[in-house]
Amino acid sequence: MSTTTTSDRPASGIETKATHDSLADRVRAMQSVWILGVLVVIVAIFGVMQPSTFLTTGNLTNIAQNVSIWAVLAVGMTFVIITAGIDLSVGSVLVVSSVVAAKVMESMGDTGWGTALVGLVLSVVVGVFWGGLNGLLVAKAKVPPLIVTLGTLSVALGSAQILTGGLDIRSAPRVLQDSIGYGRLAGVPAITLIALVIVVIGGVILHRTRFGRYTYAIGSNEVSARRVGINVDRKLVEIYAFSGFLAGVAGILSLAQYGTTTIAGQSLTNLNVIAAVVIGGTSIFGGQGSMFGSMVGLFIPAVLQAGFVIIGVSPYWQTVAVGSILIAAVYVDQHRRAAAVRAG
Amino acid sequence: MSALLEARGLRRRFGRVQALDGADFDVSAGEVVALIGDNGAGKSTLVKALTGNLDLDEGEVLFEGTPVTFHTPQDASRAGIEVVHQDLALAPHLDAAQNMYLGREVMRSGLLGRLGFMDTPRMRQEAAQAFTDLGSAVRSVVTPVGSMSGGQKQSVAIARAVAWADKVLFLDEPTAALGVVQTRNVLDMVKRVRDRGLGVVLISHSMPHVLEVADRIQVLRLGKRVATYPGKGTSVEELVGAMTGALEIKEGAA
Amino acid sequence: MRSTLRSTAAVLGAALALAACSSGAPSADSSGDSGGSDNKTIAFVQGVAGDEFYITMQCGIEEKAKELGYTVTTQGPQKFDPTLQKPIVDSVTASKPAALLVAPTDVQAMQAPLEQAAAAGIKVVLVDTTVNDPSFAVSQISSDNIGGGKAAFEAIQEAKPDGGKVLVISTDPGISTVDARVDGFEEATKGDSSFTYLGVQYSHNDPATAANLVSAALQKDPDIVGIFATNLFAAEGSATGVRQAGAKDVTIVGFDAGPNQIKALQDGTVQALVAQQPSTIGMDGVEQADAALTGGSVEKEIQTGFTIITKDNLSGEGGDAAYKSTC
Repeated sequence: MSTTTTSDRPASGIETKATHDSLADRVRAMQSVWILGVLVVIVAIFGVMQPSTFLTTGNLTNIAQNVSIWAVLAVGMTFVIITAGIDLSVGSVLVVSSVVAAKVMESMGDTGWGTALVGLVLSVVVGVFWGGLNGLLVAKAKVPPLIVTLGTLSVALGSAQILTGGLDIRSAPRVLQDSIGYGRLAGVPAITLIALVIVVIGGVILHRTRFGRYTYAIGSNEVSARRVGINVDRKLVEIYAFSGFLAGVAGILSLAQYGTTTIAGQSLTNLNVIAAVVIGGTSIFGGQGSMFGSMVGLFIPAVLQAGFVIIGVSPYWQTVAVGSILIAAVYVDQHRRAAAVRAG
Repeated sequence: MSALLEARGLRRRFGRVQALDGADFDVSAGEVVALIGDNGAGKSTLVKALTGNLDLDEGEVLFEGTPVTFHTPQDASRAGIEVVHQDLALAPHLDAAQNMYLGREVMRSGLLGRLGFMDTPRMRQEAAQAFTDLGSAVRSVVTPVGSMSGGQKQSVAIARAVAWADKVLFLDEPTAALGVVQTRNVLDMVKRVRDRGLGVVLISHSMPHVLEVADRIQVLRLGKRVATYPGKGTSVEELVGAMTGALEIKEGAA
Repeated sequence: MRSTLRSTAAVLGAALALAACSSGAPSADSSGDSGGSDNKTIAFVQGVAGDEFYITMQCGIEEKAKELGYTVTTQGPQKFDPTLQKPIVDSVTASKPAALLVAPTDVQAMQAPLEQAAAAGIKVVLVDTTVNDPSFAVSQISSDNIGGGKAAFEAIQEAKPDGGKVLVISTDPGISTVDARVDGFEEATKGDSSFTYLGVQYSHNDPATAANLVSAALQKDPDIVGIFATNLFAAEGSATGVRQAGAKDVTIVGFDAGPNQIKALQDGTVQALVAQQPSTIGMDGVEQADAALTGGSVEKEIQTGFTIITKDNLSGEGGDAAYKSTC
């Protein structure tokens, strides 16, 4: 009986190398690859319709510049959603971070790099504070993340309004605006380069380090993560604090780009970032997702909007299109996953 | 042969229920001990008590001959005792190697390791080696566990536990939901684990499986060990009789 | 894999279908001409899509554009939010219209994107709102908002000659036009000692917030006689707030005259409306853009007037000043 050979017997060679060990292969094997196809085709369609305006470096760099701040937030959001959480507060934390930074930088008076650096540090500290608070409430107080971050969304925004009396501070150091907000390096907006660096670092942390591995483990099966001895509560605090940290960085980038604290703005930032992450194949049920996917997911609405504006589609239809893509993307993704499980 | 892990007169009461009523138990290195008993006989309570998941009212646990108290599962884990729970506690989105090393990742050497970078090739290699050695049915260490068959999942969970347990391995109903071929494979793995010199404790309702792999069979009834049988030469009827109390046997009669 | 392809195709199909819906709106000049005399496209970027004020302005723009032989594309962000408006302006700039009529959503944040548009050779006309340094714009057209604030106070004076406490419900600080209305109102209250100015509250363009602010203010000061609501949403919310608090004798003067305000006026919830002339702003904007494009004389700044609408003139002059939800 024990000599029976069946397909369930140990295979002589166990596969240890994923087919996705080279970068190209890994990208191909990713859940989000089909959505990249969608992006490429969208770009191609607009390119054919309006080659002289859409496919210009000016337009493409504009799109890249306009998603830069969202990209920074999407890095943190990807981590949070992979843990099966959500962070609705990113837009407000961004605002309150930039408000604190702007207030202090304003009081320092001069507009050089020293001031800007102080602003950056403060902005990040404020961001980590709010993110850490989210994390503590989620991990220790066991309040659902949707509620916690909905609450901090209000509280953080309210704090920004209290600090400023609701008046935007419009005195970001000149160096910030000139070199980061609108500066360029080899034709690429500086803000985009900064975002790119953060995205790459975020991707490496998510996919290559133990911190990233635990992020997936918590979202995949929190009980099992606890049983193998992972300090899940602490990891959750760290992950939400990381999201807050990035909102703080985004706060400075926003100051640099807009020259104002946009207290009344950033109203749809959280939802746009969440939509991008989800379009990119990160499951809101946790355990699954990739940084690459989130970035593709960020570009789809941005490219659609830019393209629609250029070809002159009414703004109402743009919202319809982005919403439809969101639902379609999630539907298709779930379909694919179900098929993958059946095959496996 | 002195026992590797031994329980003496364990008592634990939950409200009005005396879950353990002076239970004894022992397992030695290099043997498979089956722990059987009807529902409510105290099997899970006993396992919890032996693996740091439960405090006792009375009685003592000896590990390698010395009294010990495991306050947490991590304490037991440090002593070389692992449990494969019935729900397996695997992260379905992670692959076999990632699950195997979850919580105990092998880090890169030097600065990269201190920065939190993992040595993925090494973990994959070692995981594959472990699966091969145990005769596991897992064919890829890079496929998400969620897309594997029940037998493959079980073998991942066992391989993970074995990778960290060098003394005693508890298996809670490892064959409960498996088909014939998968069951065979898991039982073969159990034997290989024993052959490495570990003490294996098998909790199971399946008498044929128990009789096939167990060197000794200890029967629990009403929170007490009522009988110990040798694996060879015992019949299903005897075991059922001891479990239900239809057959009164003095402790140690075997 | 086949199902993936099919689903992908379905998603793209939907996107294309939406793109096809644009057939009604003429696309930007595909010759890619950046502002030459044969480029007859005017882009209009609203402060927020779906607001009757901007729709009425759009109507004026389209009417005048047709007369002068231009085609118009209109875009607007989902909210009055510079972080949403900037990408739209950037894309409009990429599409190279001859002229851009735009209502900036922030004096600072929209400065650089609009400078960039002007630098690309597009004639930029600021309509309604403005930016910190509008020197790049060929023209700015807006209501005389300080005058509008004064007019609002006069409407309260007329309804409540005995004076009393007055409150302002505004939208968000930092919007130049709204700030000017509030300033104009505050200044006017100082001229009449029988009135006490309670200050300004910000509703963040949310009617529900405005309603809460008003009902809370009435809790604190039940003797408020007049409320000046500086825009559409603030007025809608204030009316709700007064009703919620069960207050009777409060004169609400709204700014703007959307269908809901007109209805509130008819219902007697709002007693007077200070209507801007968005259609005129739009028409003037196109005229100035045309003048800039054809080398005519351009007026750097134009201020348009107001119409006070009350129940009494609703059937005549006042009714004509009401904003439209479609052209």
